[in-house]
Amino acid sequence: METILQSLMELSGVSAVLVFDQAGQLLGHRGHSVYDQTLCQGVSAALAKALDAVQLQQEDWETVTAHYADGKLVLRRVIAVDQTNVLAVVADGSLNASFATVALRVAAGKLKRFLEGGAASSSTPGLGSSAASARHGPAASQAGPADSRPNLAASGLSWSKISNVGLSRVAVADPASGAFLTRCAKELAQYVGPIAKVYVEEGVRRVSPESPFALPQAKALVDDLAAQIEDTGDRTKFQKALAK
Amino acid sequence: MADLASIARIPGVASAVLGDESGGFHDAVREDDGESVASITGFVAAALARAGEELGLGSMRRIAAAGANRGFVVVKLGQAYVTARVEPAAALAAVERALEAPAAKGG
Repeated sequence: METILQSLMELSGVSAVLVFDQAGQLLGHRGHSVYDQTLCQGVSAALAKALDAVQLQQEDWETVTAHYADGKLVLRRVIAVDQTNVLAVVADGSLNASFATVALRVAAGKLKRFLEGGAASSSTPGLGSSAASARHGPAASQAGPADSRPNLAASGLSWSKISNVGLSRVAVADPASGAFLTRCAKELAQYVGPIAKVYVEEGVRRVSPESPFALPQAKALVDDLAAQIEDTGDRTKFQKALAK
Repeated sequence: MADLASIARIPGVASAVLGDESGGFHDAVREDDGESVASITGFVAAALARAGEELGLGSMRRIAAAGANRGFVVVKLGQAYVTARVEPAAALAAVERALEAPAAKGG
């Protein structure tokens, strides 16, 4: 792993390289001293959330490049053992995009082989300290119970599917059930913003995967949606508002 | 304000959606559910902007996502975000360049 990350660090303009899994758990990093493990772990978690939502717009994404005033962030998906991992490169404006594309492609191939080899083995030779801590047991690579982050990536939703299934077109058993979903989206939007509608669609798919949504499933849906609200006080307010 | 109709005429742009930083929807061309697209874009942009700030990269300007056959570009124009779905993916770089000009003028 160290060798793979170092090869990317040698590109002109690169200041840090991270590898994290789909739960946002940092598996390895290398970079200038300012990019310490705490910073990289926090950034990995934020990036994983962003990529969960990217997945909704484009299920088959391979790379995401974010351009900033003072540099860029290039994210490349690496699927190993059916798990999505992400190779992230932080660079300043001098990064040569063509060289970076080739180097990332090569590094992603090597990382895939490494992760597949590491998963098949009980030990993880070559991983840095952050990687080793992240690989201790399957629970370490999953969102913990306290993590209310929605698992959008696993929802199977995509841009095209969402475009054809607006909230008003989610299958409902009767008008009252439809009105309840609208109420849910409005209440939830107070805490998570306009993406509430997407969360409601996803929640309906979870609590009522086989049949049209009906009011007897309302409590299950509210509890499901409440898990998307991080603040416990706000979560309670949301549940009370929809219990009326 | 972004001229969404002009953006939608850029070769390779399959659809275009105008939204804002909070994920609010304003307008769409050739996109059936612009509200969902705008909300997702708002969420993605906010998360990437936060990550960029933590990494010392400054304010976010543009996002490009690419897959095997298609992709999308998000450009910040003032307080607004334009999300352009691009197909085929090979047109992504050209669309990014075409969108850079209005972005550089601040929309």
